[in-house]
Amino acid sequence: MKLYKDFRIIVFILAMLIALIAIHPGYNSEEGFTSNLQYGLDLDGGTYLRLQLDGVIAGIDADPVQIIESEFSDAFGAVEIVDHSDTGITFRTTEPPEEGAINAVGYGNGRIRGNEVTLAINKPYVIQAYLSKHLTCEVIHLGSDTYEIRSMVSESDLSGLLASVGGSIKKDLQGKPEFKEEVTKNTQELTKEVLNEKLNIWGLKEIPITPVGSNILLVDLAGIDLSTAQDIVTTPGKFEIRVQTTNNTSEHALWGDRITAVDIPKMQDGSWGVGFTLNSKGAREFGVAAVKYGAADDPDAHELIMLLDDNEVYSAPLNPTLASDLKELYEIYGEDGDWPSRGLVANTGSGDEGEIEARQLQVHLSAGALPVQVTVIGSGQVPASLGSQFKEQALIAGLFALLTVALVIFLRYRQKNILIPMIATSVSEVFMILGFATLIGWQLNLPAIAGIIAVIGTGIDHLVIITDEVLYEGKIPSLKVYLSRISKAFAIIFAAAATTILAMSPLLWMGFGALKGFAITTIIGVLIGVLIARPAYGRVIRDMLE
Amino acid sequence: MKQITHSRPEKRGASTPKALTNLISRFDSYIRTHKPAQLVIPPLIVLAIALIVLGGMWVTTGSPVRLGFEFEGGTIITLATTDSHDLLRQTFADYPVIDVRDSGSRRMIKFGPMSKDKQDSLTDMVNTDYEYAAPEIKQAGALYGESLQKQALTAIVVSFCLMAVIVFIIFRTFVPSVAVVLSAFSDIAIAAAFIAVAGIELSLGTVAALLMLIGYSVDSDILLTTRLLKRRGNLDDKVTNAMTTGLTMTGTTLAALIVMYLVATYSYLIIPSLPQISIISDISIVLIFGLFADLMNTWMLNTGILKWHLQRPRRRRA
Repeated sequence: MKLYKDFRIIVFILAMLIALIAIHPGYNSEEGFTSNLQYGLDLDGGTYLRLQLDGVIAGIDADPVQIIESEFSDAFGAVEIVDHSDTGITFRTTEPPEEGAINAVGYGNGRIRGNEVTLAINKPYVIQAYLSKHLTCEVIHLGSDTYEIRSMVSESDLSGLLASVGGSIKKDLQGKPEFKEEVTKNTQELTKEVLNEKLNIWGLKEIPITPVGSNILLVDLAGIDLSTAQDIVTTPGKFEIRVQTTNNTSEHALWGDRITAVDIPKMQDGSWGVGFTLNSKGAREFGVAAVKYGAADDPDAHELIMLLDDNEVYSAPLNPTLASDLKELYEIYGEDGDWPSRGLVANTGSGDEGEIEARQLQVHLSAGALPVQVTVIGSGQVPASLGSQFKEQALIAGLFALLTVALVIFLRYRQKNILIPMIATSVSEVFMILGFATLIGWQLNLPAIAGIIAVIGTGIDHLVIITDEVLYEGKIPSLKVYLSRISKAFAIIFAAAATTILAMSPLLWMGFGALKGFAITTIIGVLIGVLIARPAYGRVIRDMLE
Repeated sequence: MKQITHSRPEKRGASTPKALTNLISRFDSYIRTHKPAQLVIPPLIVLAIALIVLGGMWVTTGSPVRLGFEFEGGTIITLATTDSHDLLRQTFADYPVIDVRDSGSRRMIKFGPMSKDKQDSLTDMVNTDYEYAAPEIKQAGALYGESLQKQALTAIVVSFCLMAVIVFIIFRTFVPSVAVVLSAFSDIAIAAAFIAVAGIELSLGTVAALLMLIGYSVDSDILLTTRLLKRRGNLDDKVTNAMTTGLTMTGTTLAALIVMYLVATYSYLIIPSLPQISIISDISIVLIFGLFADLMNTWMLNTGILKWHLQRPRRRRA
């Protein structure tokens, strides 16, 4: 059979072509050699941050009735539970309570009839509100008795808090407490989105943020130093709402610290929107500014503008009904009164576009505040100049290693008919790995280069096995014998490749992803080698030896 | 080729060079003239010494090898500066400096764990005062280091077990599989003992190298075992053949690693501006020692066990 008709050769050539197109090497006099290869920041310079998302997922066993009794007793003296069901709890106080005082305890507005107060609440709500209030952080009910606490709390602190209302951390079937220092995939994803959005505002586009495990995010920031990077990531942004006065001027209405809650994007009447709540002061500043600067009278001419770090992120007119509401409230409370806190919705329109904008707006409204606290557990910076030296040196190391290998191979076989295909195969493997890296868009960093060199090592080993197997007993075998020997050689190679791949696999998650590049390169490299390059070599070597 | 002592297959046109044949034939005659037990004992003694070293380190320091900053928490800063070590210690007197030394042509300052505020102020100071020196900074939290220790240990154990499972699946016979797994274990133990004795700190790079060693070391063992179990012919001839291939394999890999180690570690002696690439340096030095251990374990330990296994009465295999 002709060499070029063999499918192993065809696959090999196709793979090389794809790699060539992907890498797209070029040369011009200004930039020197160019390619589509992306380098990691240890080669291009930049900063990496390894962020741990502080949160706890725990099973909570607590009686809502006891929580309510204890909480309201603290506020009103002894209270007596009159009635409770899955949807509500009624208790009696000694004196008829005021609505505001009930509200202030933090379990919603009750229905008050004389001394009796009925709260329309269920168990998850009570537990959530209780934990959230005492741990001052967001608590999410994940279903059944599991809750996500978006802040770091120790097991003993949580136990103590629950014990004071007769509750406890649930035990699983083995009797171990259901308590894990981690966050849900959703929270991790949301934190990633918020971070991404924040970095975009800073003009840093397409920052790779890699989630690792259940509570780690890796952030690679090209071209900035560690001090700046930590500032961006760990300090919240400055959010502001302004009212447009003329075409290009506006007046300050309020700062982001008046926003007490931001809802997730929701679809309502065919339009996406994000709900957010202003506290009393914020509601007053909002209303006063709307009236003073004309937005309440002529909404379309005086849009409300939202800014994050002085960049406009949203603007829209007031809804006419809201505008007239605000005017009424202004009449009642005036510029200094106690305005009731107010829920608002910023609509972003329909369809996918509206949804995307709503998601972004959700992040902006939180002033880039991350849904959970993050701790920087590892960080580093490599200056660009050092990175380019690393690059240069890694290239030298790789080339020298290849030359040395070529020398050893030549000393062993003394035949250029073996040497050339062998080295060419090895180089082609590197080329295909680089092509693959470019295709899936991952960055080449120092660990990845170490991985590539490791693959050259195993690759050459395997080519030696093939060659020796084909040359066994020194004669060029007949086709039939050749085929059986090749299959023997590949039995060894596949076995060796399988062990290498499996041995490397723990690195995919170990080190919080620090060596993921190394592991992926090695694994991909070994796969490319055994599936594409080495079969082609096995085919070529027979022709070369004839 | 007068030095060839046994009839060996001749490669067409491939006259294996003197040095290599010498080495192979020496190894070869050693293996032919010694009983399996004699082959197995020296590697087992070395393994025992390695385990004693690791155990001793564990008892005295609480860890079988010295832990690098990634595992203990702390900060490493390297600077392209000519400031003396003492001056640097003085400059950073406010921070917990553990060590100042040269890393290639750069100075490396190692700090112990510190509070976040301290760390931030250190970062700021280095980035302003030493901006000219292209500062490289690496920080790791202490808590992170603790879980990293556990992860590294799990990774090595998991990796090893996966390898062992694959080996058992491939050979499906007990003794040969155990021989491969044992010699891989010995490779890792000896490499780790070397890390401990040479005072190399455990870094992510060295852990990666140990894992890679698991993959690398079984390559030649698999070759040997396959050739011995699945080929016809004289046992000693098969060993010789496998060794010719195996030594070439390990030889190329070792040669590449040694060159890589030298370039990554000592380039600055020739071109002063070139830095050390610690991760490549770490990976290669560990692999170099691991592969030397592998030479011994494959061709003595593993070969010895296999010979004993195949020569046992009532077990005709060849």
